[in-house]
Amino acid sequence: MFALIVGGSGSGKSEYAENLAVSWGAKEHLPLYYVATMEPWGEEGRRRILRHQKLREGKGFETIECYRNLEELKLPSRGVVLLECLSNLAANEMFAEDGAGEGTLPAVVQGVRALRDRCCHLAAVTNDIFCDGAAYDETTEQYRRCLGEINAELSKEADQVTEVVCGILLHQKEAVNEPVVEQL
Amino acid sequence: MILIVGGAFQGKKAYAKEKFSLREKDFTDGGSCGWEEIFSAGAVLHFHAYIRRCLEEGRGVSELAKELAGRNPDVVVIADELGCGVVPADAFDREYREQAGRVCCALAKEAREVHRVICGIGMVIKHD
Repeated sequence: MFALIVGGSGSGKSEYAENLAVSWGAKEHLPLYYVATMEPWGEEGRRRILRHQKLREGKGFETIECYRNLEELKLPSRGVVLLECLSNLAANEMFAEDGAGEGTLPAVVQGVRALRDRCCHLAAVTNDIFCDGAAYDETTEQYRRCLGEINAELSKEADQVTEVVCGILLHQKEAVNEPVVEQL
Repeated sequence: MILIVGGAFQGKKAYAKEKFSLREKDFTDGGSCGWEEIFSAGAVLHFHAYIRRCLEEGRGVSELAKELAGRNPDVVVIADELGCGVVPADAFDREYREQAGRVCCALAKEAREVHRVICGIGMVIKHD
């Protein structure tokens, strides 16, 4: 199963993604891996990371850091992966010196595909940064366009796409568990 | 409690008026009302602005949703959805955006109905 979870800041998307991953793991007795993409820069960054760590505490995730080059990431074993989040990963690829730069779109999309193929179930968290109507400089616009394309590309391949609004789930694409019966 | 969310200028107030038979005098404005007014008003407009004022004044907001639901269980709360943009450059703006999101999650948990309005059209996204 590959689920894409999208939402704005403070929408409750992480909490939902964690619960989803935990439920997959419990059902099939699989190990849980949390792929963290946020580089701990500054006091505020560390606080954000701490908040997420607290949320995950006791849920049984092993944390693996991956700031760039997701395609090369090795997992200790096949299990359930929670990848958080594509917006950080895309920013790292696009803006870091050793990142993919202009090749960010394929780097992230292929990275997620490779990760999906190496695990049993993948929940990937991404951000909605597209609805504030503000005018940004060209670099930021490039980043927004790129993330929009990443989200659209991956949602085509996802079994489930869920938008989280105020902690409420809006299933934009439902997981299909039943075999599809062809109409005669 | 009823929660109505959506982007700015989407017709949330008009929707609330029609849907819940509210009149102009039932509304208090979270951007300018007294701290206590939200606990007796029929409807609170711009609740995100109330949250912003709380943060500016150093008032905690972590218990705000619970307190509101407890003291004014029939209130209609209207708030802008404001988390769907690029991370703000200013630290206070980042904090405000995140806290407004968290308070709305908590309000949604307490609310018996949550409506999301876009282009004046409301969709019920939670119904007990």
